[in-house]
Amino acid sequence: MEQAAAMTQQIIDGRVIVACQQGDSEAFRLLFEAYKDKVFSIAVYSFGGDRSVADDVTQQIFLKLFTAIRKFRGEAEFTTWLYRMVVNACLDERRRRRRFLPWGETMPSKIGEKKPQEKQYARLEIAEAVRVAISELKPKFRLPILLKYVEGMSYEEIANVMGCAKGTVASRLNRGHSELARRLAHLRGEVS
Amino acid sequence: MFSKHVTKDLSAYCQGELTSEESRQVAEHLISCTKCREKFEEIKLGIKLAEQLPQLSAPSDLWQQLRPLLENQQDVRPQTATRTKSFVTSWQTQFATIATIVLVITSLGILWRYRSRPASVPQGSWEVARVDGTPKIGATGISNKGNLAVGQWLETDANSRAQIAVESIGQVEIDPNTRVRLLQTQPTEHRLELAHGKMSARIWAPPRLFFVDTPSAVAADLGCAYTLEVDDAGASLLRVTAGWVALELKDRESMVPAGAACQTRRGIGPGTPYFEDASENFRQSLAKIDFDQNMPATRRATLDALIAESRKRDTLTLWHLLARVEGNDRVRVYEAIAGFVPPPEGVSREGVMQLDQQMLQLWRDKLEPSWSDRTAVSKAMAEAFWRLRTGSEER
Repeated sequence: MEQAAAMTQQIIDGRVIVACQQGDSEAFRLLFEAYKDKVFSIAVYSFGGDRSVADDVTQQIFLKLFTAIRKFRGEAEFTTWLYRMVVNACLDERRRRRRFLPWGETMPSKIGEKKPQEKQYARLEIAEAVRVAISELKPKFRLPILLKYVEGMSYEEIANVMGCAKGTVASRLNRGHSELARRLAHLRGEVS
Repeated sequence: MFSKHVTKDLSAYCQGELTSEESRQVAEHLISCTKCREKFEEIKLGIKLAEQLPQLSAPSDLWQQLRPLLENQQDVRPQTATRTKSFVTSWQTQFATIATIVLVITSLGILWRYRSRPASVPQGSWEVARVDGTPKIGATGISNKGNLAVGQWLETDANSRAQIAVESIGQVEIDPNTRVRLLQTQPTEHRLELAHGKMSARIWAPPRLFFVDTPSAVAADLGCAYTLEVDDAGASLLRVTAGWVALELKDRESMVPAGAACQTRRGIGPGTPYFEDASENFRQSLAKIDFDQNMPATRRATLDALIAESRKRDTLTLWHLLARVEGNDRVRVYEAIAGFVPPPEGVSREGVMQLDQQMLQLWRDKLEPSWSDRTAVSKAMAEAFWRLRTGSEER
């Protein structure tokens, strides 16, 4: 995993980041292609499955990245730096949107609205149930899970992104796993 | 002996984020602590669920939406480079860009798959060593060593035997005329299918990491060693030599400790566990109760014969029978157990008759010392295995 991460980093650092910092838009396209799905996934799961909001947030993140990448000095891993920006953007946007929602109302979940044909398949239904359950977790439990399972990060990498101790990450993931198991206990037979 | 509960470390334990010493402490604690084992099951389920989370694809037109915004931003952004490219300069540039993108995306895809894989899982396969003859993986014979990938069958004929290394958690010996398939190997679960034949497993992992599916039940390892045979009719025989093994099918579960055995039948599931040193009459009576469904008229006499042959340690069988017999039969089983070990405080006859799970568990806790010294044996075995493992790692 570390080797793969290092190789990914090498491709992005050596070939792309410096060019991006110099304003090379083609290099920025490479960066975009490399990270767009992961950034978009985190945004979707952070906003109750609302793809239009996730679309907006993903654009905002890459717009910000286009300018802010000049400030990247390599003190941290690029992915750590990038996902810190992603996490903060999602939290900021969520706070901003919450101001316009009545007290007690949570972000709308649009995941369940569409009934795609594929939902007949149990696996997709499980994935959807998991997406909904994760979307309903508190951000402090949800974000470590997204970084772990969408980004494939280690506990230490997650700690660096979230600016907390590794033990805190372990504790929050533990709580997140427990919450998922309790909410989706009826799926035990499906994933065991 | 009490030790600190490990519930807060269980996710890190499952995901290989603890040091080897910390992992050893958690594993040892899990063997002897029911509460933490329950939490361990919950955490494992949570991890399995989270693993179902798919990575989504960004909308295909996202770049088209983003590009004009970036161009605007680029106009106001101070340029640090002497050479700033426009988005599209020539067809050669476009071609080179697309080729590079494809290359990078493909590389990242491969890397991503690799990166997502826990370090302890070597490409989803187990190493198989030939012991005798020429065992086969799929259609290919093994001359010395081979790799059994998920979905592949390992088969031995009358003259061949093989040994499987189950990641870092144990070993499985495959006897002649046996057919097994690797179904899953993940940090939270390793699973084999035994279609027919005989295998011996020695597992030094925490409970419920290693499973064997048979045609009539699932064997869940609770540590440490056992043999499992499946005949051509799909019936199986489990014999436990150390630790505990659970045999499960739907809602039916048999907990089998060291020194005990348990049979299963296709369409019925696991029978009732019994100690192998029980009398012949006891074992024959139990087989009739478990699997002979055409003898309701003689069932009472058979149960009486079994009770008459019971010893104190056969309360293992009697305790399991409580949930498998009804009415007056359950009363007679209750009285037989109470004759050896009276129910503890908080356990009433009425509660047991109604199969109150908490009461059954309390009584079982009191009965267990007569079945085996579970904690001492398991802990000693675990420590021995851990020493062995540490030693082999150092070598």
